[in-house]
Amino acid sequence: MGMFIRAVDRISEVLGIVAMVLLASAVLVVCQMILMRYVFNASTIWQTEFVIYALIAATFLGSSYVLLHRGHVGVDLLPTMLGGKAKLALELTGGLISLAFCAVLAYSGWIYFHEAWANSWTTDTVWALPLWIPLLPLPLGIGALCLQYIAELIKLIQGRASLSASELTVIREGE
Amino acid sequence: MGPLEIGSLVLLALLVLLSTGMPIAFALGAVSVGTLLLTDGSRSLLILGETFFGGLNSFGLVSIPMFILMGAAVASSPAGKDLYAALDRWLNRVPGGLVLSNLGACSIFAALSGSSPATCAAIGKMGIPEMRGRGYPADIATGSIAAGGTLGILIPPSITMIVYGIATETSIGRLFIAGIIPGLLLTTLFMIWTIIACRMKGIGLSDVTRRYSLSEKLEALPRVLPFLAIIAGILFVLYGGVATPSEAAGAGALFCLLLVIVIYRMWKVRPIVGMFRDSIRESIMIMMIIGASELFAYTLSSTFVTQSIAQWISGLDVNKWVLMAIINVFLLVAGFFLPPVAVILMTAPILLPIITQAGFDPYWFAVILTINMEIGLITPPVGLNLYVINGIVPDVPLSTVLKGSLPYVLCMVLAIVILSIFPELVTWLPDTLMGKAI
Repeated sequence: MGMFIRAVDRISEVLGIVAMVLLASAVLVVCQMILMRYVFNASTIWQTEFVIYALIAATFLGSSYVLLHRGHVGVDLLPTMLGGKAKLALELTGGLISLAFCAVLAYSGWIYFHEAWANSWTTDTVWALPLWIPLLPLPLGIGALCLQYIAELIKLIQGRASLSASELTVIREGE
Repeated sequence: MGPLEIGSLVLLALLVLLSTGMPIAFALGAVSVGTLLLTDGSRSLLILGETFFGGLNSFGLVSIPMFILMGAAVASSPAGKDLYAALDRWLNRVPGGLVLSNLGACSIFAALSGSSPATCAAIGKMGIPEMRGRGYPADIATGSIAAGGTLGILIPPSITMIVYGIATETSIGRLFIAGIIPGLLLTTLFMIWTIIACRMKGIGLSDVTRRYSLSEKLEALPRVLPFLAIIAGILFVLYGGVATPSEAAGAGALFCLLLVIVIYRMWKVRPIVGMFRDSIRESIMIMMIIGASELFAYTLSSTFVTQSIAQWISGLDVNKWVLMAIINVFLLVAGFFLPPVAVILMTAPILLPIITQAGFDPYWFAVILTINMEIGLITPPVGLNLYVINGIVPDVPLSTVLKGSLPYVLCMVLAIVILSIFPELVTWLPDTLMGKAI
């Protein structure tokens, strides 16, 4: 059990770094695009799509990292007010429902990805990027998010962590 | 079961799920999946991935992580401190100068960071001890910064406005420009109230502790001007429609990063990774809510809830200002509990048709909505800024911060009233600079 949790936490940390690199690459490509368009008056082919897909990939791949660091905010008024067993019960319920939703989303994302792969769909731009490439992070990232949710639920039951996160806890952890 | 009943059940289910403290994004997603399963069967599950992905597949959204990164770079550097010091040196002989430089620094920093708690934290760390040191009572010192910080979501560039633009398919550049005059109006109202509050407590406003020479004043500028130039540059390219908000945001993020690295010599790996970590956390949180609210909006419209509510309200035949008042109360209550971005994404698909049908301008409504959200940031139970201030000065009880910031809530309500009487304050600047909205 401990090994599973450590492994999942490690995967999410790595995915978090991947998301940061994707964000950095998106910033650089936007600036390169501006340079091409407005300074050299050249047309740009792949930049717009690259930036959009890089940030979508960052979102999906980084989502488990954000869960690990309690960045997905909610309204934790009631659990905080009640405390004790009731708080645990609420967080457990909320966590299980979240896990169920993420599992369905990952599965549906996998079907979408598989369709794009099997039918060799491409994006409808000049670049004509095979669509499965931007779609792959959806099942991968949300799959990792499901694993992280399982790990967090185990931590919750073992009494090692609390699941609720408000904007305030996010700011406090940032400091 | 009719669409209106489905709508009420969806709302109830959403409130129940949110009360468990689960992430807003997944609560929205789970309610949507549940509703689709019950009304449409299991085949509806297949479109989830496509809808969620589609909600994120837009170049306009690119500006969100970019502006967040820009704000994170500025917020993690001592830029707030320098901005504050510079304004203090220049304004310190004006009557009430300290108040003016505090609120002025808030509004400028708000423009740079686009975030209310970040503004509160950056200016508050300098401003509150300074005000208290010069004899201002704790409630005025903390309340004015808590309120000044809320300007972050109104003064452009603002993440909240971008999200509104995406959710309602309105022009983000135009929204930004629409926020300028109301932002200045609110800043002015805050300043007037602060001066009145000081007078009432018998505090002299010409409390000059020292004079700064011209060279001291000039010395403070080089670190501040480049950041001001970036804001001016972003607004300039947006006015002219030269570049898209996403392009402006990307360039702004890169320039701010480089400035922070050059001016403050933050070229070590750790602080830079820190900026990216903070940006990733906030942007992914917002992007997940955006994707999930796309599912939510799809669910509401495929079960005809959106359309029926709009029809029902137009059938009620109430006065449009009564309608606006009700919507305001509704938004206020939602803002008490939820972060601004979530409120906008959840309510925009339902509210926008109602608003436009009643003859309100969507850009004007964006400003009214944002001011409502600002109120939520300094009122309990989850007034974010109150807690941020409390974190800066733990010796001031939360009740004192609250007491100090409540009058500013009235200033914001007054601003809503003023903007309702003179909607031109919102629409004039974008109309003049960008031509009339179609």
